[in-house]
Amino acid sequence: MITTVQTLRFQNQTLMLLYFIRRLLQGLFIVLLVSIITFAIMHLLPGDPVQLLLGDGKIKMTDELRAAIHAKWGFDKPYYEQYWIWLMSLARGDFGESLVRRGVPVREMILEAAPVTAFLNIISLLIAIAIAIPAGIIAGVRRNSWFDYATTFSSTLGVSLPSFWVALMAIIVFAVMLGWVPPYGLKTWRGYILPVAVLATEQMAVLARVMRSATIETLTQDYVRTARSKGLVERLVISRHAVRNALLPVVTVIGFQVAYLLSGTIVLETIFALPGIGRLFIDSLGRLDYQVVQSLVVVLSALVVFVNILTDMVYAVVDPRIRIE
Amino acid sequence: MAEQRSRTLDRRQFLQLTGVGLSLATLAACVPTESTTGGISSDTSTTASTAPTAAGGTLIWLSHQEIAGLGPNDLGATMQAIVIGAIHNSLVAYDINYAMYPDLAESVEVEPDGLKYTFKLRQGVKFHDGTELTSADVKYTIDYYGDPANAATIQSSYTGIDSVETPDDYTVIVNMATVNAASLVNWASNPIVNAKYHQEVSDATYSTAPVGTGPFKVKEWKAAEYTELEAFDDYFKGRPLIDTIRMEVVPEAAVRKAALDTGDADSSAWPLLVEDSLALEADPNFKVFRTPGESIKHFPINNTLPYFADKLCRQALMHALDRQRIIDDLWNGAAEVAQSNIPPNSQYYKADLKQYEFDPEKAKALFDEAGWTEGADGIREKDGVKFAFTCTTITGDQARKAIAELAQQLFKDVGVEVQLAEAPVAEILQALRTGTMDMSIFNWTYSVGVLEPDPTNTLASSGGNNFPQFKNAEMDELCAQGLQQVEVADRKPIYDRIQEIFVEEVPVLYLQYDTWMLPFSTRVEGLPETTSNTYPLYSYELPLTKQQG
Repeated sequence: MITTVQTLRFQNQTLMLLYFIRRLLQGLFIVLLVSIITFAIMHLLPGDPVQLLLGDGKIKMTDELRAAIHAKWGFDKPYYEQYWIWLMSLARGDFGESLVRRGVPVREMILEAAPVTAFLNIISLLIAIAIAIPAGIIAGVRRNSWFDYATTFSSTLGVSLPSFWVALMAIIVFAVMLGWVPPYGLKTWRGYILPVAVLATEQMAVLARVMRSATIETLTQDYVRTARSKGLVERLVISRHAVRNALLPVVTVIGFQVAYLLSGTIVLETIFALPGIGRLFIDSLGRLDYQVVQSLVVVLSALVVFVNILTDMVYAVVDPRIRIE
Repeated sequence: MAEQRSRTLDRRQFLQLTGVGLSLATLAACVPTESTTGGISSDTSTTASTAPTAAGGTLIWLSHQEIAGLGPNDLGATMQAIVIGAIHNSLVAYDINYAMYPDLAESVEVEPDGLKYTFKLRQGVKFHDGTELTSADVKYTIDYYGDPANAATIQSSYTGIDSVETPDDYTVIVNMATVNAASLVNWASNPIVNAKYHQEVSDATYSTAPVGTGPFKVKEWKAAEYTELEAFDDYFKGRPLIDTIRMEVVPEAAVRKAALDTGDADSSAWPLLVEDSLALEADPNFKVFRTPGESIKHFPINNTLPYFADKLCRQALMHALDRQRIIDDLWNGAAEVAQSNIPPNSQYYKADLKQYEFDPEKAKALFDEAGWTEGADGIREKDGVKFAFTCTTITGDQARKAIAELAQQLFKDVGVEVQLAEAPVAEILQALRTGTMDMSIFNWTYSVGVLEPDPTNTLASSGGNNFPQFKNAEMDELCAQGLQQVEVADRKPIYDRIQEIFVEEVPVLYLQYDTWMLPFSTRVEGLPETTSNTYPLYSYELPLTKQQG
């Protein structure tokens, strides 16, 4: 008996390991594909980054000089060779050098910008979770109450108002009119208040809506009725039976937020003048700084792939319903 | 009337109104609470609010773009040029009236034939690392950036140099192989680097940690956030009065305005939205410097396309444009109609050139004369080709897109059809250069600016940025001749003729010279009354101080 259980456990562990390795290899393949596609798209974009070094015509440029700069950047090599050089440096963990911010490794640029965006997102997501989930639950339980209407109204507003407008208004009211916070930048911790608030409002609106509808949904389930009919206190029915199950879709939405790490903050980073990943990305894209854009996309895709694998592994370990086959 | 108008506020007007109303409110609020916004620290007394402090303090300038590099190779972007100018000196420089003065050089001698330049350097000029500037540093700078192998962006400014000699530590002789009249303006105003250090660290690294002779040295550089400079104690003209200068990056124009209103910044080195600049002009807490811009706002057109190939058509399009209306309606009056490729404040500007007044009838007559007659659909055509093309504006450039929209309407009135499109700026510049785009709209200099009239790069057939694909043998000849003469009196007739050709041939549809408006808080003292050159406002030759309080 004992040996059989051990064998089974061993087999299960081996299966897990094999599964993990397979997923990892798949992930690597995906990242490789992403790198090829990004490289191709970037180099298919029309335009020449040399043009952007000229100011409004103040710097003169001859065709020979243009060719010399291209050669210095390695643009005279065939595409497959340029891609190979970049891929090899990626493999070494070196993302190459920026065309615009010369002398600074791309890796350093990313490492400098990433903490700003990460901090902004994590803090605002935590605040959003702390406020939106209880609000969504209460709104769902007390359906059609004034609280529900208020939550629905404000979350609809939060989803539909464009963040650039909210951000500008927030600057005018809280920085210019009231003088409570600086209008831009991160010179003090106060600089984080407005961007975090605006970002949290946006995330809160989405989370509250999902939480509310999931709560309403679970409250109509059979197991909730069973719990009630066996005489459980309503408080326990909601906390143990309804909310636990209602949380699943919310967790999925929170997972998605990781993928929006970049795109969600481009606008806010530009308005509040924060030196984060979003601005690095959009600035580099605008001036065709190939290495920076490509490397950012690859790093982020690797992050998403890795987080996905990790989530699946955690599911497999934690949730008994999910089995590896 | 005024009441009626105030009821229909658009977004900008609202922002403007709230901004103006609020700046008063914050002002009142700011006086008692000394430094709620932070950033400015001073150990000097804060009680004397009207008297300028003798020294110290931090000036905060705002940039719209990141400061990507700090070396001579990064001069292309205006905001970078300002910071680079604070860290370095050049052989000669230009003051607020565009008058040249010797900077690192004590004197400059140019041989009448333009083949030899002799610079006597100042003695006792210190680099930020404590070493002394000698002729070897100047020679190294010219040799390095002039060498095509190093592919520096400023390389073409060294065109024509044969050799650089250094007979002693304080004399630099530049021998020219060919005369290049633009030399002094171009390369003599390029920054001089520390030869030993530059050689040691390579040019790319130099851009991240420069060692110059300028009044300020780099304290901290965060490209996307701020660049902090501190006063250099051993500056050869004496330590600046200000301790620190921070160039902070704030991309959004409306936020730069807010930062000026709250007192978080002292000046925006890149202009605000025109309406915000006008609002600050009316605000007693700000001084706004107006200077005519050096670049022309224009429609570059591909002269090889059938409808743009005939100069009569190009002239007709000029008559079809109501350029004063564009300035009045779309640019808040803050511009001047362009009448030449050379800016009006240049000494080479020719005043009595042919002008294109708004006259649709004349435009129609010129089209008819060129053989482009109206077809059944009201659009002109010739030999089966319709007078229809696409104007591509820069993605997100709402201000200039509005001009393209007005032009679309005005051209339609004379039987010309325009489609509008958008593309990123890198794509537009490349497509124009290779002749694959019909028309665009942006600002560009069709000379070297106020100081130097040479348009070779944009108007000569061989020009690296000949966007209109303009080919004119006389223009090519004149461009070459103009650079052969060093005396202004000898050059003037040549550039007079170049301007005549420009307005007669209309290689591009030229619109206006924008008025450049730069706001300074009145806390900053030591600024001139007016200026015609904006660079020196930020170039720290001025005894700037900042009122505390």
